[in-house]
Amino acid sequence: MLKADNIVSARQYYFAIFITISLLLLLLARFFQLQVLDYDKYSKKANTNRIRKVTTSAPRGLILDRNGQILVDNLPTYILNAVPGELSSKKETFDFISQIISVNPEILLSNFKKYYRGKFIPARVAKDLTFDQISRLEESRFNLEGVYYQKFPERYFPSNVRASHILGYVKEVDREIRNSMINPQEYELGDIIGWSGLEKSYENILKGSHGVQFYQVDVYGREVGFVQDFNPINPEPGINIYTTIDVDIQQSLERILDQKRGVVIVGIPETGEILGAVSKPDFRPDLFTGRILNSDWDEIIKNPSKPLLNRFNQGLYPPGSIVKMITQAILLDHPDFDPFITQICDGAYQFGDRLFGCWLTTGHGSTDLSSAITQSCDVYFYKTIHYYDLDKLAYYFRAFGFGSIAGIDIKGEYNGTVPDTEYMNNRYGRFGWSRGSILNFCIGQGELLVTPIQVFNYLNLLVTQGNTHVPHFVKTDNLVSVDRPKITPESWDRITFDMSQVIKNEYGTGKNANPNNPNAKVYGKTGTAENPHGEDHAWFIGWMDYREENYSVVVLLENAGSGGTVAAPIAKKVFNKIINMHKVALK
Amino acid sequence: MIDLRFKQNKELPYGIVVAMVFLSTIGLFVLNSISQHQKGSFLDNPFNKQFIFLIPAFFILLLILFIPRFTIHKYSYPLYFIGIVLVTIPFFGKSHAGTYRWLNIGLPFTLQPSEFAKVFTIIALARYLSDHTLEMRKFNSIVIPVILLMIPTVIVLNQPDLGTAIVMMTPLLPMLYWSGARPYYLFLLFAPTMSILTAFQTLSFTIWALILGVVIFLARPKIFVSVLLFFGNIFLGLLSPFIWNSLTKYQQNRIITFLNPEKDPLGAAYQIIQSKTAIGSGGIFGKGWGEGTQTHLKFLPVQESDFILSVIGEEMGFIMILVVLATIGFLILQIIKRSFLSKDRFSSLALIGIGTIILAHVFVNTAMTVGLIPVKGLPFPFISAGGSFLLSSYLMVGLVLKLSVNYSD
Repeated sequence: MLKADNIVSARQYYFAIFITISLLLLLLARFFQLQVLDYDKYSKKANTNRIRKVTTSAPRGLILDRNGQILVDNLPTYILNAVPGELSSKKETFDFISQIISVNPEILLSNFKKYYRGKFIPARVAKDLTFDQISRLEESRFNLEGVYYQKFPERYFPSNVRASHILGYVKEVDREIRNSMINPQEYELGDIIGWSGLEKSYENILKGSHGVQFYQVDVYGREVGFVQDFNPINPEPGINIYTTIDVDIQQSLERILDQKRGVVIVGIPETGEILGAVSKPDFRPDLFTGRILNSDWDEIIKNPSKPLLNRFNQGLYPPGSIVKMITQAILLDHPDFDPFITQICDGAYQFGDRLFGCWLTTGHGSTDLSSAITQSCDVYFYKTIHYYDLDKLAYYFRAFGFGSIAGIDIKGEYNGTVPDTEYMNNRYGRFGWSRGSILNFCIGQGELLVTPIQVFNYLNLLVTQGNTHVPHFVKTDNLVSVDRPKITPESWDRITFDMSQVIKNEYGTGKNANPNNPNAKVYGKTGTAENPHGEDHAWFIGWMDYREENYSVVVLLENAGSGGTVAAPIAKKVFNKIINMHKVALK
Repeated sequence: MIDLRFKQNKELPYGIVVAMVFLSTIGLFVLNSISQHQKGSFLDNPFNKQFIFLIPAFFILLLILFIPRFTIHKYSYPLYFIGIVLVTIPFFGKSHAGTYRWLNIGLPFTLQPSEFAKVFTIIALARYLSDHTLEMRKFNSIVIPVILLMIPTVIVLNQPDLGTAIVMMTPLLPMLYWSGARPYYLFLLFAPTMSILTAFQTLSFTIWALILGVVIFLARPKIFVSVLLFFGNIFLGLLSPFIWNSLTKYQQNRIITFLNPEKDPLGAAYQIIQSKTAIGSGGIFGKGWGEGTQTHLKFLPVQESDFILSVIGEEMGFIMILVVLATIGFLILQIIKRSFLSKDRFSSLALIGIGTIILAHVFVNTAMTVGLIPVKGLPFPFISAGGSFLLSSYLMVGLVLKLSVNYSD
């Protein structure tokens, strides 16, 4: 027992000590390397390891009416994000969430894929969650590793107007949108961006800027507090914009035009402010927030009346007789022209081998310039075309703002068409058209195409005798003047007088627009524009001077008939509405 | 130097006890820091658990001191068989996460029998090598110790527990060396393994072939034997890629993840990165007790056992790491010294075996936390939380205390 002697030599002993010390020194050297030499590197790494950068979205600016009533508000909703790298099991987690908030797990998964940007960047899986749903999720927090919620403001429309074409809509920034941006870093996937209307034009003002918060997180990504060393950047809310819209007027315009197809614009001629503008048919403003049903959406898309088309800046129409004041101005400008010389209208005029009819087939009889405006005689203008040529006519049309955008603060405006010699040559060839076309143009027919907003601008020029400002929807201190057409003061006065006759004269085509109020002086012009697509478009343009305040009104009804019988009564309703509002205000 | 051995070592090596108590205290200190954010039952708190386990651990240590040395010597082989039975029993029970390491004997915690089996194996090995001293210079006599060691090792490897299996094997070479085996034979013992491992890269295989050639040349065996040994190894190496390629992809992956779990990027690589970050960000003086962000935000995995050194590195810095490594180094060197000074061969061999096991634990655990070797789930002696390992560590110290005192029995 235990008799065997220890035979370990000193050499073996020292060798063992040598090995032991070498191994320990090797380890110590490694610690020295990590903790002393590479300290900075790992220290930095430890900091980023525990800090999560979370961007917080800024509430978008509100859109208000001219009196401060809210047209577009923000509704606080919640979105649910998942951090891909922190999900232990995607399927289990999504199944679990879907049970609680009763959303199909497939939807969660497809959202997750759509918003995926990186392993440790939160990707959205659900949105529009209510506080109640979030509370229920919060109760099961321990089952939801890697899932976080975030407050997210959505657009919401508290007023009782639609104003859909003015306000426009917002979209969620997806990959495609982000890739097409000049400054993609300003937006994150899932942010909202103004996509049409004022939401788009005033995007930079409305959007605000993201905030950044640094959270200290544990390895499960749970936020365990703020980080002191890094200052959070607070989100900067978007700036509210005050529109020139009056909710009352806008609402009554929408009611007046209900079930009709067309445009009404009401504004203040001196400033170019638009009090109300309707393009019918329109759509519910929350159409694009994703809260409406697919069937509603299909109805909008398939509607042949194109509710999505913004008629007041993208609808192109022949103006008809409402542009006769331009022809009148040309004639009055001509030194040889005498407005009191009458022309006989017998209902038609032979020019070359073509017969050009007056709208009144029985004829207006003996007509001077004033009554040609008042009764909207066409033949009078046919018979006076030798005072000007096509390019002069085009020049005057352009001087009154046609052929180029009015420059309103809603994007996507169309130029319209003002035909001149060059245009006709390009379109029909040098010999493909005759001088006869001028007979069409001088009464606002033919290739001449205008948008209602251009007409509104033209009307404002007539009201103010050339001293108006660019039409706009958002209040501004920097009004932009419209170039003044160079016509004589006498001509302006004559136009104003003749337009009052359109309403007052017993033969006036616009008498249906007269509200018959002793305090209201009303001026106007009707138009009945023939068009190749069916029934005539009915136009009425005019203004009311009510207690020293001017209100200009443009009415267009598509394929509705004659301006005097269809459009003028609409204008009358609008004038009456304004008169009533004044009465309410006085009380 | 030989004269030293004739001194009577009647004094207990108190230095070892002081080092052990010191390390255990640091362990408790660190575990208390970690425990701040632990929730759950009383025993889920690693500090509480460690504290509780220290009581039976001390008891085992004292118990060993009262067992006569010849009793330990006498019952070496029965203990060895008990160890083998203990590591086999878990295979008949339920698996824990696909492994059979744990033994549930109705206590609120489970035991890991391989921790005790490795101590018993050393004692059995020491017994065998001390009984068969004269034949040790022959290559054949290595075979039985190898088999003795391989039986529990293979069982543990199948649990599967690569870390413990490696630790279990490490005492073989030092103990054979201690009992006088020619280093040349020890070299030949692990030469085939090296041939296989180096064969997958031209450069490493070339270097290995050169070393092999030089060693065989210097040892000067018979020409036929040297040629056989050399080319046998080379052939084995050349053959291994072919064998490897004949395996299915699935089998290959099993072997790769078994040998190198770091290939699994979300698992082990992540752990190593977090551990290195924790240690590196601690700097020279550390972030302070309870201030480690990597630790307390739980970026650091298994921080109470496998990566406890990373917690020390993060919260107490390089200074404390230096102290810890110096202390454990002192403890190991003391054991080696006592082994050298021991009068009888059995005690000497058992001591060097225990010393090697502790060193292996220290090296594998530490090298893993600093990213020098792949992750092997091994705790750090005396500091890491862990019931069975704590008990077996104190058992080993008890044996050291007992065997390092030279009585005349």
